[in-house]
Amino acid sequence: MDLQIALLLAQDGITNGAIYALLALALVLVFAVTRVIFIPQGEFVAFGALTLASLQAGKLPGTLWLLLGMGAVITLMEFAKALRERRIRRIPSILLLNCGVPLILAGILFAVSPATLPLPVQVILALMLVVPLGPMIYRLAYQPIAEASVLVLLIVSVAVHVTLIGLGLYFFGAEGSRTPAFTDTSFAIGDALLQGQTLLVVVASVVLIVALYLFFERTIYGKALRATAMNRTGARLMGISATLAGRLSFTLAALIGAFSGILISPITTIYYDSGFLIGLQGLRRRHHRRSGQLSACRRRRHPGRSA
Amino acid sequence: MKIKKVPACLFALAAIAAASTVYADINVGVTLSATRPAASLGIPEKNTFALLPTSIGGQKVNYIILDDASDTTTAVKNTKKLIAENKVDVIIGSTITPNSLAMIDVAAEAETPMIAMAAAARIIEPMDAKRAWVFKTPQNDAQMATAIVEHMTNNNVKTVAYIGFADAYGEGWWNEFSKIAEVRKIKVIANERFNRADTSVTGQVLKILSAKPDAVLIGGAGTPAALPQRSLKEKGFKGIIYQTHGVANADFLRVCGKDCEGTFLPAGPVLVAAQLPDNNPIKKVAQEYVTKYEAMYGKGSVSTFGAHAWDAGKLLSNAIPVALKKAQPGTPEFRKALRDALEGTQNLTATHGVFNLSPQDHLGFDQRARVMVKIEEGNWKLVK
Amino acid sequence: MNNFRFLFAFVVALALGPLVLPEFYVTLLNYIGLYAIVALGLVLLTGVGGLTSFGQAAFVGVGAYTTAYLTTVYGVSPWLTLPAGLALTAAVALSIGFITLRLSGHFLPLGTIAWGISLYYLFGSVDFLGGHTGISGIPALQIFGFELKSGRQFYYLIWAMLLVIVVATRNLLDSREGRAVRALKGGTLMAESMGVNTPRSKIVIFTIAALYACLSGWLYAHLQRFVNPTPFSLLQGIEYLFMVVVGGVAYVWGAILGAGLITILKQWLQDWLPQLLGQSGNFEMIVFGLLMILVLHRARDGLWPIILRLIPEHPERPRVAHAEALPRRAIPPAGSVLLEISNASKRFGGLIANDRMNFKVRSAEIMALIGPNGAGKSTMFNGISGVDPLTSGEISFCGERIEALEARDIARRGISRSFQHVRLLPTMSVKRSHRRPSAW
Repeated sequence: MDLQIALLLAQDGITNGAIYALLALALVLVFAVTRVIFIPQGEFVAFGALTLASLQAGKLPGTLWLLLGMGAVITLMEFAKALRERRIRRIPSILLLNCGVPLILAGILFAVSPATLPLPVQVILALMLVVPLGPMIYRLAYQPIAEASVLVLLIVSVAVHVTLIGLGLYFFGAEGSRTPAFTDTSFAIGDALLQGQTLLVVVASVVLIVALYLFFERTIYGKALRATAMNRTGARLMGISATLAGRLSFTLAALIGAFSGILISPITTIYYDSGFLIGLQGLRRRHHRRSGQLSACRRRRHPGRSA
Repeated sequence: MKIKKVPACLFALAAIAAASTVYADINVGVTLSATRPAASLGIPEKNTFALLPTSIGGQKVNYIILDDASDTTTAVKNTKKLIAENKVDVIIGSTITPNSLAMIDVAAEAETPMIAMAAAARIIEPMDAKRAWVFKTPQNDAQMATAIVEHMTNNNVKTVAYIGFADAYGEGWWNEFSKIAEVRKIKVIANERFNRADTSVTGQVLKILSAKPDAVLIGGAGTPAALPQRSLKEKGFKGIIYQTHGVANADFLRVCGKDCEGTFLPAGPVLVAAQLPDNNPIKKVAQEYVTKYEAMYGKGSVSTFGAHAWDAGKLLSNAIPVALKKAQPGTPEFRKALRDALEGTQNLTATHGVFNLSPQDHLGFDQRARVMVKIEEGNWKLVK
Repeated sequence: MNNFRFLFAFVVALALGPLVLPEFYVTLLNYIGLYAIVALGLVLLTGVGGLTSFGQAAFVGVGAYTTAYLTTVYGVSPWLTLPAGLALTAAVALSIGFITLRLSGHFLPLGTIAWGISLYYLFGSVDFLGGHTGISGIPALQIFGFELKSGRQFYYLIWAMLLVIVVATRNLLDSREGRAVRALKGGTLMAESMGVNTPRSKIVIFTIAALYACLSGWLYAHLQRFVNPTPFSLLQGIEYLFMVVVGGVAYVWGAILGAGLITILKQWLQDWLPQLLGQSGNFEMIVFGLLMILVLHRARDGLWPIILRLIPEHPERPRVAHAEALPRRAIPPAGSVLLEISNASKRFGGLIANDRMNFKVRSAEIMALIGPNGAGKSTMFNGISGVDPLTSGEISFCGERIEALEARDIARRGISRSFQHVRLLPTMSVKRSHRRPSAW
């Protein structure tokens, strides 16, 4: 029995731990690149899970309207800016990115009944609905005040969090949802049962972490993000756009959040306001992740001090 | 220079905020928890007010509905606003016990009757000068807990573990249940707490399992109460699982799925209205509510919480014509008459039971106000 | 004079308020007053001292629960529970402060989140405090046998206390202690080199902010006459921070403005949104959040500075007419050794920046340390002033060994230094920046 309890607790700890580790990574990334303490990180977890649940229930997820709405607002803002700066050539790409993509998604959702699609397609649809919200939120809420103090950015984060919670309640209702398990298989280890879903969470987290590692180490965008994280001013002098880095980091944070939400939603019930507590847990772990890849570089920065 | 402007600024803030006072026939002020933790209870209540009669005894009725975000300060603020700004004749609310308790002082001082939609008996007991103004529609926790304990004794349950919300709901149930269980010689061998938004209750569930109880009672409301149940099943618990009436909505069945098969819970008769025997007077009233609610908000959307709001409406429909004979709405005399009329409610059939109020009992439900329900094949089934 | 007249006008407006305002606005002003008291503590802590705290609501809870418990269980007079609550809060704040204020950077806000949550659950899980359900039946306050039952009567008590605190806070910020606190925000390095005992200053403002919160809690308990844990949760703690940032985190009046603005805005939204958008949804939170984002985009220092800008002139506040100069230290005779450096070395890992340096500085002498970039001049300065202590070697000042002392203690012995990159505080005038060192 004791071994069994230990195994059960370990299983529980590892699944939740894997998710929190991912979220912590996202928080560190966003903070290092933009100095934003991203409290709404948890909302992406909830939105990811609840969007998938809505798709599976055959309902149109409310996040679609959010995506369309934010896309439209950004299009208007960028449109005005492009006209002012007389850069007409940028307009088609603005339209395509902020209005076209959401509209295509809406078209897909209206054309086919999402409940009948295979699970992987549903997951991809859910991610496509939620992940673009990340850079859009950055564009609307943070980019205009990118140079403000950490405290102001934090309070803006709180405001964004309040808005998203309100929207979540409106979209998904007060009651929670749980999605069906990706796999029903389970393995017996001694007396204890190892759930296939647990294994899946761990494997998926590891795959995501490896993918992120490769992204940071091997791609030019990853390197740009690392450079911005280490030294914002230096990175700008080297021609890395702070705006691009900000959007990229928010995209990654949204991807990690939504993906984590989709991973744990078969294990636990997710509510419209689950995100805050989950995000808080991630925040607490943030500092234990200091030895992670992002800050390993930071340490290399101070071989000695110059007078 | 700033001398004049600064206070002017601060006061302008307060002064411009003046909203027009509503002068209407009968004003019913409502404060309920439609956001934050208690939203799953408050939203169906809020929805129900749209179904209540807009005219009682030939007088127009206005419902002024405010959200208190499950927070006591806001609930009290709302109550003061309803009384001072909207000049309401009666207050309905709030959804949860702490908010309702906090509102008592304000309502009583303004001599305005108040009908709470929260469960704890403390809201109306012990009866005193303040609580004379306070009524409530949901069954006392004690009443529901007695039903569970009776069921346990009949099913040979000797030991039981409790796991409830770490809030007023879980606490209220623990207090009532542990008291009644002790009287009936049922041993409560574990007492655990969890939070609504917890993603895992493995630790608590393992503690419960190691105590080897015959049955487990889960004191939670809405879908969050499914998590311990699922965890128990997953870890191989074979005993009986009891839930409370807090879970009685369709979302709970949806989220809990097959993990909830065979679960028992006490509930108001409205939950199984269609299965009630035809000679039960509650059946007709309850079915009327269910039909109306589902016509407006969709099939399967009804919950027992909304029915508490409906019952508050029933009380008012019954009492207002009586009070109208004595005084005009909007006057202290009318509020006093309304209070007296509410207290005098006799044999009023509602969705959750039959009201028979008295100066000592401001709830007035009897045994007919609760039934035992079993979850079978994803549906509520009345236990005969 | 201006300052006095401003306060006077404010007081008159406040005193007349309840006579002309409808009942509910007096109620709102009561809540605004309560929030503003807590927010003022945050101005001191966050706006002036640069320490972010999410946990102020928990201290409000300590004040409210102390009086709720003592008055309902032991029947103690509320006027005695106030000092009891303040004493308890001071004890809690000092012990929490000693632990969390050592945390630097972003650990501090996280620390405040941690104890904010812990105290909240403590209120909820302790049976004699009424658990999550709460304590009801808290008695009304009495002044000379007169019960403060109505909101209008309570109004005067709340705002009188708030005014006392406003005046006290302004005076504190203009005092020596206040200048030390203001120096904290510019980083501890500069403050320490000027002789400010930064850990002490942090604890002082942390405790003062907690005491303000406790006072607000005491008033809250007797206004509401019911307490339960929800008003003291982390969410409320965040809301207080919200108020000061929107109002203007660095301004005393910003706290009152922020508390008023947010309370009234929420009220408006509750009144108008259902009429605009219908009863079906709960749009208050969404619109509130969006409005706050917009406000912070337009006014990242809060709204108070914007109001100040609208006022054409705002003269410096009157100074104290004349103060006695501090007594001069005895000047050592010219030529005697003031500072003696012997065998001073500083290593950074494998790099030796200063290698066994020896020199003396005599009284009435100007000594220059010269060398190319990277020669170790700043390192030497940092070593002498205690900012970055030596690895080995001795430093004596007026015959006293100082190499093991903290920077602030060295500064107090009479060594002052400047920095290569000017470290001025953006919110302080040059004159006040200069007064900082002279304060110690």
